[in-house]
Formats: sequence, C-alpha cells, structure tokens
Amino acid sequence: MLRLDNKSAGTDRMIYTIASTKLGIIGDPYVPADGINVAALLSGGFIVEQSTPKPKKPAKTNTETNEEI
Amino acid sequence: MATSTYLSNPVVTVNSVDLTDQTSASTLTRVIEALESTSFGKTARVYVGGLENSTLTLTMYNSFAATETYATLAALVGTSTTVTIKPTSAATSATNPISTLTGCYLETLPIVNAALGALDTIDITFTGGVYSVATS
Repeated sequence: MLRLDNKSAGTDRMIYTIASTKLGIIGDPYVPADGINVAALLSGGFIVEQSTPKPKKPAKTNTETNEEI
Repeated sequence: MATSTYLSNPVVTVNSVDLTDQTSASTLTRVIEALESTSFGKTARVYVGGLENSTLTLTMYNSFAATETYATLAALVGTSTTVTIKPTSAATSATNPISTLTGCYLETLPIVNAALGALDTIDITFTGGVYSVATS
C-alpha cells in the first residue's frame, strides 16, 4: 500500500516581500513586527505574499497494490 | 544659560509605513487616566493612576495615490496597529528617542476633506495601545 507522508500540511508559513519604498527596499523580505496589521499592508499594496516553496512531490511509482480477486 | 533649539521635523510611521512626507503636524500625548481616590477628611482631591490611554494625533495630506495616505489608512479603520514617531530622521539615540504605541486603535478616518483651492488634509487619532520608548 502506498502511503503518502503529509507532515508538511498546515505548516506553510507565509513570507512577505516589500513592494513599496514607504516600507523599505523593494524586494526585501518583510517580517512584520508585533502589532502590525499585515492585512492592511497587503490590501494597500505595500507587501506581497509568497508561500514558502512546497517540497517536491516524490516521483510517482507505479506500484499497483489493488489486487482484485 | 544653556538652551536647546529643536526644529520640529519628526519621522512618523503608521503600521510600519513611513508617512513622514504626508504629515504636517503630530502630537503624541501620554495619558494615564486619573482615578479619584479622595476620601473623607481630605481637603483636596487626590488621584491614583488608572489605565494608560495615550493618543497620537496626526495632520496629514490626503493622497489617493498608490501606497500613500489613503492606501495606508483605509484598511486600518476599526482595527489596531502600531505607530512610531521620533523627533528627527537621525539615528535613534538618547537624544532622538523613538516612541511607539503598540496596539493603538484607529476609530475614524475622514475620507475627503475638500475645500476649493486648498489641499485635502485630514486629522486622525490613534488611541490606546502600549507606549514604549527606545533609545537605540
């Protein structure tokens, strides 16, 4: 039986990139400090979010385990 | 007699966004509410400190351009954020301390304050939050 390990599910952290010089250098990563309203920064176009790259799925191996009797 | 001349030119950030170039006046007032504790036998009112309720009032030029005043403030109404202010743009130091209100609340935002032949300016007030000051 092929079992998929899904440990990474739900642990993706959002990373943000600065998109306005009002906030810093464009392209630099942005780490929100305590009390910062990230949703407001996103909606105002000051930062953009990028999800961390998910680990590559393992190559699919064709291991048929459903044996019909 | 020694005097200190100080040309007001503060640096203001709202929710991390530097809005210094859109701000023309700012007043940070630290407030700790007074709770009256006068009792019988006293001849004058006396108070003890209650909850902190500091305020930062800013006069800003309204701008609907990308990543300017409106874009910064529109989504903050009715929410809490962090604001900072320091006396000058020089590095933070003991003579140029940065004050922060963390978790202060923006209750109202004037959207348009228009008058013929005048720039659109708005006054906003952040209330509450935890006050702190840093010198480095």
